[in-house]
Amino acid sequence: MSQPVLDARDLGKSFASGAERIAVFSGVSVSLAAGQSLALMGRSGSGKSTLLNLFCGLERPDNGVITLLGERFDCRAVEGFREQEKRWARLRRRQVGVMFQEANLMPALSLLDNVRLRARLAEQPLEQCQAWLDRLGIGELARRYPDQVSGGQRQRAALAMVFAMNPDLILADEPTGSLDRRTAEEVSAELFRLQAQTGVALVLATHDPELAERCRMTLDLAHGAGSGRAS
Amino acid sequence: MTLFAALFSHYRRHPLQLVALALMILVATTLWSGVRQLTEQARASLSQSEQVIAGRQQVLRVDGAGLTVSDFVTLRRAGLCVMPWLEVPRQGQVGVVIGVDPLAAACFDGGGGAFDNAALRLESEPFVDIGEAVRLARESPAAERRPSLVLIASGNVTAGALPGGYRLETFARGPETGELGESFLLNLDALGVLVLLITALLLRAVYRLGIVQRRESFALLHRFGVPPARIDRWLIMELLTLSALCILPGLWLGRELAGLLGQGFGRSLQGLFDAPLYSISGQWLAPALSMMAVVLVACLADFLVPGGRRVVGSRGHGKLAGILLGLGLLLALLGPSLIWVFAAVAIVFAGAGLLIPILIYRLAERAACARADPLVRWRYRELAVMARQLALPVVALQFTFAMVLAIQALVTTFEDTFDRWLAQRLEAELYVPVPEGRSGEAAARWLAAQPELKTSGAWHRVIRGRAGVSVPGGTQTPVDVFALSPVSSLLTGWDLLASGDDPWASLAGEQAVLVNEQLARRLGLSVGDRLELQLAGQRSNLPVAGIYADYGRPAGEILINGRLLPEQFQPEFESFSISPGALSRARLRSGLESVWQVSDITLRDNEEIRDLATGVFDQTFLLTRSMTVLTLALAGLALLIMGWVFFTGRAWYFRLLATWGLSRREVAAQLTRLSVGLTGRVALLALPLGIWLTWVLVHRINPLAFGWSLPMAVYPGFWVELVGLSLLIGLGIALLMGRQLRAGVAMPASATSMTGGER
Repeated sequence: MSQPVLDARDLGKSFASGAERIAVFSGVSVSLAAGQSLALMGRSGSGKSTLLNLFCGLERPDNGVITLLGERFDCRAVEGFREQEKRWARLRRRQVGVMFQEANLMPALSLLDNVRLRARLAEQPLEQCQAWLDRLGIGELARRYPDQVSGGQRQRAALAMVFAMNPDLILADEPTGSLDRRTAEEVSAELFRLQAQTGVALVLATHDPELAERCRMTLDLAHGAGSGRAS
Repeated sequence: MTLFAALFSHYRRHPLQLVALALMILVATTLWSGVRQLTEQARASLSQSEQVIAGRQQVLRVDGAGLTVSDFVTLRRAGLCVMPWLEVPRQGQVGVVIGVDPLAAACFDGGGGAFDNAALRLESEPFVDIGEAVRLARESPAAERRPSLVLIASGNVTAGALPGGYRLETFARGPETGELGESFLLNLDALGVLVLLITALLLRAVYRLGIVQRRESFALLHRFGVPPARIDRWLIMELLTLSALCILPGLWLGRELAGLLGQGFGRSLQGLFDAPLYSISGQWLAPALSMMAVVLVACLADFLVPGGRRVVGSRGHGKLAGILLGLGLLLALLGPSLIWVFAAVAIVFAGAGLLIPILIYRLAERAACARADPLVRWRYRELAVMARQLALPVVALQFTFAMVLAIQALVTTFEDTFDRWLAQRLEAELYVPVPEGRSGEAAARWLAAQPELKTSGAWHRVIRGRAGVSVPGGTQTPVDVFALSPVSSLLTGWDLLASGDDPWASLAGEQAVLVNEQLARRLGLSVGDRLELQLAGQRSNLPVAGIYADYGRPAGEILINGRLLPEQFQPEFESFSISPGALSRARLRSGLESVWQVSDITLRDNEEIRDLATGVFDQTFLLTRSMTVLTLALAGLALLIMGWVFFTGRAWYFRLLATWGLSRREVAAQLTRLSVGLTGRVALLALPLGIWLTWVLVHRINPLAFGWSLPMAVYPGFWVELVGLSLLIGLGIALLMGRQLRAGVAMPASATSMTGGER
């Protein structure tokens, strides 16, 4: 097996609630190679989104080590916060695509400009942006603004943005959670199709067991602390 | 949970908005009621001054000596209706109290019908019993002005009925101000309205932002079966409660502010119109109700006029702004009176207020289209959104910038001009008033005989009195006359607004007169026009050789050569201006004391007078400066708060940039460029409006209101300061937001709702 894109060891996270700390999860370990996909399952509040945030450096674990695309992030390391921050930012900018349930687009920009903005930040050619929208079936809507298209079309545009940056890893937080069933199926089908075509690794947080079944691995956070191990 | 609790829960989550709203109401009330209080005081003072002395006459001693109680007794024993009038400076406060004798005044009711009105109720200041006035005078020995007794005569008293040694003269507490007093009050009213407009705009901006954020709650309550009318009623109740809580302390603060600024304002009134500032009893109900109405209209205009709101940037707004600007500019140029010019200013401001957000929006849109870089394009598009969303505070800040620019330019120009003018008027080192009952003639002969003065010094004699002037065929106007002789080098350095060839030589040669700007404007005089002059019954006809600036007083003045005065001319006052040169001051003093046969004469150092005058002037403009600075601070604070709240609504999009890999510093830089870009553009676009307003103040309002004009000057240094201030506000917004962004990554749940998702 080639070097994993994402390798997380013994991750734990808790939040302060007044004087006490509430553990969200602990002992979570994950290893994901290029082309593989992992579904994060669990109830609301089980820590799926938090774990995704840890995987891209938007939040810090209490303990554990994450190795992302060869870069090692140890919460106990003496390395300063700013230095780690810079390394995380560099990875998110060029190699890690993050997709949320909604609000992935800048409302002041057209769909095409949104894709161009994401590609520009990832230093990818801007000429391909229209082609990505075409591939996702919304090429004719390129000049429209996010509030002028449907929720499904917005998520397709978000997919175009993520793939236009040519990432090594996609972190998707319930990308179809706000869509109706049919649209959700269409969007998820596009996601898996393009993932297969590009060979990018995918981590998907979802409630939907059918969607999770399409992933190669599943990590169930439903049982809380100490339960996390990809299967 | 009750409906009110559900509605109010918004402010539990956003306490800053509630604080901002309360602060806006409080400060708006303070500023407006402060200006209003001073305007009311000025209005009452001018009105009382005019009302009480209208058509009155006073008795004077022929020998020019001051009046005493024995003069009053003599006149009353002669059966004449006269009443003592004693003005005493108010200790530690602005203005004067006037002591009158109610018993003596009784004869006025029957005969002159003069003091039978509300102006003379002893229980209302400024009038008190004369005994009280005497007590006050004795208690304040260090009073700035020594009280002098005046004997007012009723209309029945004629010159023939007076005992020997007395004469009658019209009683006037200052020069005839004509419509200038009204213009002055109109200026104050305009300042008050402008302050109210700006604060109302800010108030509306803060309130509307809250309403926009609460729309979802309203919709939810509506879905739960609460009728919209009931929600509206609760909102009105909420606003009324908040207003009531904030307006009363605001009114109290306004009174304190007026008291704080009253000293300078009182001097201003005294300097301009010789009318002291009387204190008036404070009113609470009317201003409180007025302010409450303003708050309700400013905040609930959308409820009151359904469908009245339109989107900023619409074509209709642009056209309307263009029409208003064109109309206002034309009216400002051609307006025949002050009220028209103020209307023009209001129309231009309305046009600019509509235009500026549209202009920033369209310029930003155009810039976005022209840029290939998606990040730059995004930034310009965000700027366009901000221009629309923050239209009201942006316009308020722009108005304030324009007002501050104009007033600063006016005051600074006046300072420069006034300093130069004062230096020229006080060119002589010494000012020597001729003692009571002595003649200046002998002193003039003695000064002319001093060889040191001839070689190294300079001097001239000034005789002040009254004269009548008219243009050929016109009616006669009373003016102050200043007869100068000789026309020394102390005079020839004066800056003249207009002059012919060597006006001072013409004056010295008794071939012409000089007139002040006020008189020239009033009579429409130009250099070369001929003036009919009546001096103590003697008529002469002389051309105008020059027009000189005379700031502060509305009275008409002429300068003539002292040799033109006829023998029978009654001087009111005589003085000498002397630069002694090699002649020692001791020698000058002893020489003049010997000539006048007095033991002590006054040799006043003009430098001290200059310092005193400059001090009074500085006080005079304290009010205007304080108001503009306070309004600027308020507008800046409002935009800061509004900008912060706006960015808070769009925080997710900056976090999205961080998610996409921009470092915190890069995100902060984008934020800073946006906020500074907006406030900087507001300041830059306020510059033309400010310059135009300066022009209107200098060339239209000032001449119409005060009878004199100033040279038009602009101060780019101050522009830089204002632009700097606007950038600081922008940086402040970015700083506040930067802290918020550092606080952690929130989920995008609210990003597309409310204001956040608008474009």
